[in-house]
Amino acid sequence: MQLTFTPDQQALQNAVERFCQEQVTAERLHAWQDQPRQIDARAWRVIADLGWFGLGLPEPSGGSGLGLVEVACLLQECARGLVPRSVINAVRGGWALARLDAAASELAEVGRGTRVVALAFDEASASDPAAYATTLEDHGGAPRVRGEKWYVPGGLSADYQIVAAREGSGVSLVLVAAEATERAALRTFDGEEQALVRYAASPVLRRLGPAGDAASALRAVRREGTALALAEMVGGMQAALDMTVAYVKEREQFGQKLAVFQAVQHQVADMATAYTAARHLAWQAITRIAAGTEVGLELMHAGAFVPQAFKRITTAAHHLHGGAGYVVEHPLHYHSERAQALCIRYAPEAPALATIASDLLD
Amino acid sequence: MRYDFTPAQIAWRDEVRAFVREHLTEALLAELREAGNEGKGPLADRFILALRDRGYWGLAWPVEYGGLGRSAIDQWIFVDELESAGAPMLPLTVTSVAPTIMRIGTEAQKKEWLPRIVATEVDFAVAYSEPDAGTDMASLRTRAVLDGDEWVINGQKMWNTMAHMATHNWVAVRTEPDAPKHKGISMMIVPMDAPGVTVQAIYVWPGLRTNALFLDNVRVPRDHLIGERGMGFYYAAMALNFERLSIGSVGMIRRYVRELVAVVRELRVDGQPLREHPWVRERLARLAVDIEVARMLGLETAWQLAQGSVPAAPSSMAKVFVSELAQRAADAGTELLGMNGQLHPDEPAAHLHGRMQWLYRTAPLLAFGGGTNEVQRNIIAMLGYGLPRK
Repeated sequence: MQLTFTPDQQALQNAVERFCQEQVTAERLHAWQDQPRQIDARAWRVIADLGWFGLGLPEPSGGSGLGLVEVACLLQECARGLVPRSVINAVRGGWALARLDAAASELAEVGRGTRVVALAFDEASASDPAAYATTLEDHGGAPRVRGEKWYVPGGLSADYQIVAAREGSGVSLVLVAAEATERAALRTFDGEEQALVRYAASPVLRRLGPAGDAASALRAVRREGTALALAEMVGGMQAALDMTVAYVKEREQFGQKLAVFQAVQHQVADMATAYTAARHLAWQAITRIAAGTEVGLELMHAGAFVPQAFKRITTAAHHLHGGAGYVVEHPLHYHSERAQALCIRYAPEAPALATIASDLLD
Repeated sequence: MRYDFTPAQIAWRDEVRAFVREHLTEALLAELREAGNEGKGPLADRFILALRDRGYWGLAWPVEYGGLGRSAIDQWIFVDELESAGAPMLPLTVTSVAPTIMRIGTEAQKKEWLPRIVATEVDFAVAYSEPDAGTDMASLRTRAVLDGDEWVINGQKMWNTMAHMATHNWVAVRTEPDAPKHKGISMMIVPMDAPGVTVQAIYVWPGLRTNALFLDNVRVPRDHLIGERGMGFYYAAMALNFERLSIGSVGMIRRYVRELVAVVRELRVDGQPLREHPWVRERLARLAVDIEVARMLGLETAWQLAQGSVPAAPSSMAKVFVSELAQRAADAGTELLGMNGQLHPDEPAAHLHGRMQWLYRTAPLLAFGGGTNEVQRNIIAMLGYGLPRK
């Protein structure tokens, strides 16, 4: 048992934290809202030069060759420091491509941040491959994609898409060039860039996995995606807790700091307790998935608790900040939006509870 | 970051499990259900002695006092395994009073008391609270005055659980009436057979017995004041910290929920399996998640202890969460058993031997006892996050 990060992992987190403090200020976040990727090109380049996009990519492709735990460390701190979601989604897309095809030629540019991969898995009302309407058609021996993918993160500006589609009685994963598709914006409440992507016999660049037999690869990529989302949630939670603790120590009402009121202390205590447990449940799941040593339902336990805790913490943070944390210039609302958005995208409560109940009772 | 036990920790867990399998008989479990805490019973006594003979009493004691000197993680594993199996727990004498004496007692006091604890000649009840000093323990009024070579003690203590079976009492008394209230208290050992000691039974809601303790001109030798005069408040806090290491354990709740799940899997209501009811599934799944949450808070506490820190905030988090989880578990357990959930433990038809409704009545104690949850939340805010007292 070792409940702390290695010195290297800690150093990585510290570096990201420093960058965020210096570069991702509340004013910039506000100004970046008008940019297509919610970040300006200069900051994107700085991040690329820091090597974040290549952190988890294989060394032969120019990446740093680090693993899921290190990528999770990166994303935890990105989320804590409110690095725009376009950056986080680019890291996620690159990681997924490398996991599916470690020798993919696109990885070199993806690792440099000059090209971006988006994950096109969900549909209007389907996330289970068995319910996909999108299919792979055979065009003279070459597969083509027909159908629609919804909620594709970064899907408007990304250069490539990893598309999951039905093929025969199974599911396949393929890489598609964005210019072979028709993309429309979907506006989201946390401002994440998303697209509705239409495929009208879109040609495929390459298969990622065997035809009609990619269900387990898709499941693995999604589980790692959920693990990374858990790390993001932990980072967001920590930020919301820390800013609340700082605020109640400074704000005075009735002639004293808010922090001396028991009603305030008890809310902070409950936030801290939820954060402490969520952090461990998340990292237990992340580290076990990374090591392939899961013993049971670690990801489900974390999935059922962490997003709910994140939401409770941000709600309490809003309450304790009052109006000061309610203005758009204050960064708290970014975390509050991400809490619910990440929950919906990666770890909704109902399926996690259903899986746990099934494990107990069926 | 690694959440798996080391091979040595797994070997230790397996050793504890093997011990439990060998010694925790059906007869002992029946005796425990029967006796509550009113009498420990001959089989429970034998179990506790078997723990001693294996050296487990001194599990976390330093090696120099005959302990095993095992880590806080090993101790957490031990408590978790015993609670989860429903075994009798080590007495406070061993887990709270003895480790405190080791740290604060004079050499003569350690030589006097520790071997007698190991020999089971001495078994303590613990007396901190008074009628007007509960959560605000520093306001206690029981007085001890030095008369020659003896202390003369007068006052009343509350919630002196096990005093009717103990050989000695570990009592917080005021020895320095002119000092500030936190600095005027000392810890004293009072033999239960000393003239002037009276124990009066108090029965509480779950059917448990505790006691009021009356001290009327009780005389004890001068050297029964343990450690330094005026330091008793801090010694009591130290002893409570040792005690809390096991209070935050979720092992007992895990066992009850495991047994509840086993019953729910078999039950049919109105011809339908109870386990198919969506509401039943959701409540049990939530309890399973909360048990994992509690486990993590316990591990964080043990981990910080093992690193040499004082885990004031996480141990309070674990205590608050587990005590409130006990209420949720008992509520779900009694209600989803339906009409059967109301049955008294003595009713043979009662599922889980009526333990769920017993837990329903016991859970409030876990929240207000051992330092109320309000105080625990203040500790988390103040010691964990630096929120000011004033």
